[in-house]
Amino acid sequence: MNERELLDGYLLLGGLLFAIGLVGFLVRRNLIVMFLCAEMMLQGVAVSLVAWSRFRHNWDGQSMVLFIIAIAACEAAVGLALILALFQRSRTLDVAYWQDLREPGQSRRVDRGVPEERREERIWPRLTPAGVMPREDQDKNKETHRARV
Amino acid sequence: MDRIGPLLVVIPAAPLISAVAIALLAPRLLRGIREFPAFLTIAAFGVSLIASLLLLREVTYHHDHVGPGSPSFERVVRLWTWADARDAYWQRPALPSDDPRAESPIEGGSRDFTIDIALRADALTATMLVMVTFISTLVAVFGMGYMQGDRGFWRFFAYVSLFVFSMTMLVSASNFLLLFVFWEAVGLCSYLLIGFWYGKPSAASAGKKAFLVNRVGDFGFALGLFLIWTTYGTLDFHSSARVRSDDGGSERRILDSLTTVPAGATGVAWGVLSRDAESYRHGAIGLAICLLLLVGACGKSAQFPLHVWLPDAMEGPTPVSALIHAATMVTAGIYMIARCTPLFTASPEAQVVVACVGGFTALLAALIALTQFDLKRVLAYSTVSQLGYMFLALGAGTFAGVTSGMFHLFTHAFFKALLFLGSGSVMHAMGNVIDMRRFGGLRKVMPITHWTFLIGCLALAGLPPFAGFWSKDAILGAVHDRAHALSGAHAAHDATNLAAHGRERADDGGTRVVEPGEGVWTLWTPEQAAGVYQWLYCAALLTAGLTALYTFRAFFMTFYGARQIPPEAGGHAHESPAVMTAPLVVLAVCAVSVGWFLDHSYQSDPSYLPGGRASSGNVLGDFLGYAPQLAGGAIAATRTPGRFHFDVAAISALIALGGIAFAAFLYLEDRREADMASAFLRFHWYRRMLDADSIARIRRWKSVDAVNRWADRLRLGWLARIVGRGVLVVVWVVTVPLILTQFASPYRLSQDKFYFDEIYDWTMVRPLRWIADLCAALDRWVIDGTVNMVGRIPVVTGNLMRSLHIGLLPFYAVSMALGVLVLVLARTLWGS
Repeated sequence: MNERELLDGYLLLGGLLFAIGLVGFLVRRNLIVMFLCAEMMLQGVAVSLVAWSRFRHNWDGQSMVLFIIAIAACEAAVGLALILALFQRSRTLDVAYWQDLREPGQSRRVDRGVPEERREERIWPRLTPAGVMPREDQDKNKETHRARV
Repeated sequence: MDRIGPLLVVIPAAPLISAVAIALLAPRLLRGIREFPAFLTIAAFGVSLIASLLLLREVTYHHDHVGPGSPSFERVVRLWTWADARDAYWQRPALPSDDPRAESPIEGGSRDFTIDIALRADALTATMLVMVTFISTLVAVFGMGYMQGDRGFWRFFAYVSLFVFSMTMLVSASNFLLLFVFWEAVGLCSYLLIGFWYGKPSAASAGKKAFLVNRVGDFGFALGLFLIWTTYGTLDFHSSARVRSDDGGSERRILDSLTTVPAGATGVAWGVLSRDAESYRHGAIGLAICLLLLVGACGKSAQFPLHVWLPDAMEGPTPVSALIHAATMVTAGIYMIARCTPLFTASPEAQVVVACVGGFTALLAALIALTQFDLKRVLAYSTVSQLGYMFLALGAGTFAGVTSGMFHLFTHAFFKALLFLGSGSVMHAMGNVIDMRRFGGLRKVMPITHWTFLIGCLALAGLPPFAGFWSKDAILGAVHDRAHALSGAHAAHDATNLAAHGRERADDGGTRVVEPGEGVWTLWTPEQAAGVYQWLYCAALLTAGLTALYTFRAFFMTFYGARQIPPEAGGHAHESPAVMTAPLVVLAVCAVSVGWFLDHSYQSDPSYLPGGRASSGNVLGDFLGYAPQLAGGAIAATRTPGRFHFDVAAISALIALGGIAFAAFLYLEDRREADMASAFLRFHWYRRMLDADSIARIRRWKSVDAVNRWADRLRLGWLARIVGRGVLVVVWVVTVPLILTQFASPYRLSQDKFYFDEIYDWTMVRPLRWIADLCAALDRWVIDGTVNMVGRIPVVTGNLMRSLHIGLLPFYAVSMALGVLVLVLARTLWGS
């Protein structure tokens, strides 16, 4: 396999990743999924950067990808914290919920809400307090959130 | 070496320390000690007074030891250099002129702009310092009683201390710029003290009025200073020379009474007021300088046409009226013109203008004072009138004129302060009522005030033993002599100078009349000027009579007649406390004695001073004669042996007596005569002549009736009708003056102050307000409008974009993706 074919393959991969991410970002309304899609676009770009770098025997692209990864990690932390905060206010991950932030005088564009979650599906993770040994669930029979994901 | 330097510093320093200490300590730290500001102020003024008296003694000592060659004495003390700009002034070397006296040689080359904080000691300064500190000490004592219980007690004394500091600096400054600075500072203190009771709208507006009217004068003064700088290249009064010292370093030394260029001098700067008499500018420049300085003096000394602020300034506390608006600050203009005598002698036309302004103001203010009912306002107009006298004296332009003006300033300070403090005492007892119609017959209630006020009135009216008589007589005599000298000089000139100077006059076309010891007349002939002075002399005599009349009108209305006490007095009207009457008594003693104590012209033959100069017969005049501005130059040539003008004195005393007698006739017993006189001067008879009753009375006259019937019988009714119509026209012609008499009868003119306030309101204040309104509208609608329009651009754009903000995140994402797509496409299609 020569260098050129290798490059083509990686660029195709990067392009696919970016396209999937973009489509996902545009069509999904779940905040976390949208966030994942955005990450996917980022990774697609990173892959193509690495590929070009390899092809041109130039380390600039790879070193830039290291920066991108680092920054993506920070961004993920900030983004997830924001999503968590938004969720705690609205109790939903639907991004259409936040269309209430639109300019006054505009009508609602999305009136079809997400399907209501059934009450029995509401199983929330129990977070262990910091510095304490996590305990096993006492009730082995009861479904935990882990089982459902 | 000598004590003049420290004394000159101590005199202004003590009031300054007092002012600062009171302002810093009294309102906060020493709130409990109520009397602290008063005691500190009195102590500081006392220190200044003692220092001034010591300075007077030093100056007198030096006068006795001046060398025979230099009859003048001045001592300049330089504290530090305030401003120093190298080579600020450059003028071409003067071209050789045909007439050396017309274009005086100004030193060519460059000159530094150096302003020293320089204080001077000479006869004029010493006199003013003693007068200012003496009056202010007494006023401070009086104020301690008068201001008792006022909320602004400490503020009053802080302001007064600041004023005395500024005033002492003003009279001892040896530099025009420094003079101007403290000229403004006394104006500031005056403003603060007029508006002392700032809660009262009339007081606040009176303060503003005084400040703004003074700005007009100060503007002229500042222009005069600029012109002096460009003409003479310095602003110092004194000459100075830069002398290289022996050790090689260059040092600047101020030389007193510099008359010749000293050996080793590298730069000699002749002061504006101490240069050679030949080197003063004549002609248009000299005249302009003098007139601009006169404008400044008119503002400060309340002369026509800037006299309108002083009567309103009576809104301030009465001690302030006595100190600032009668005795000291308003005389700053007189002092300045007396100080600038060399400039004024170089321009005789300016002197005529000064005299005219003074004489006219004296007469005008005296006429207004006749009908005012506010006791302090009467005194204020009398101050304006007396200041007019002083200007008249200064305008006479002779040595006798200038010294008599200063003499009148000196005596006037005592008796006018006395009168004002007396009126303050009356106000204090009457519960701040000052309208003379509301009280009367107070002579038993307030005996000390009554007697001291009487002395002040007699001095103001100018009766023989009192102070005002001597100074007023000196002024009248000086003006009289000036008129005679001018007409005589003209005659003598034609006779003698024609032969001697025939060739010169032929050369310059005979247009200029040059008299030794006289200035250069360019606009008028001396003969015309003599006529002007003759008229001014008559006006001054008339003013003397009016002065006696209005003074004693106020006196009789206040202290005689039926006893009447306003309810504001609270039923316990009484003589003021000793702290207020003691200054009155001291001032009364001065008002009696200071005139005959200083003026000896009536008892001695013309004598000669050491140095062969003629004595003016007046201690103060001889003393002032040592001031460098009066000792040399053209003014000294007009010095004549003083003689007592028995004729002038007799006439003026008789006129004053007549005025007093007339006032007694009008106002003493019942006021019927006064009412009749005022009705007559309101043209009541004229109006009564034309009302319906009197016309009906005319028709009832038998002769008129007979003429009517006779005309009917002869079928000449048409003739009667024509005559009747003619009468109608006449009536119309008469009606216009009738309407005018409502406003323009002598009485109304006087009572409404000749409508000066209204005239200024319509010609100055309102047009200025219209312009200001126009500017405000332009600012609001044009300039602000443009700015606001720029600010509205984002709002409009934002409104257009508003519909895109629908709050749906995917929509934004799609827009962004499409936008990127468009950009990428564009780059691909059209990019290089």
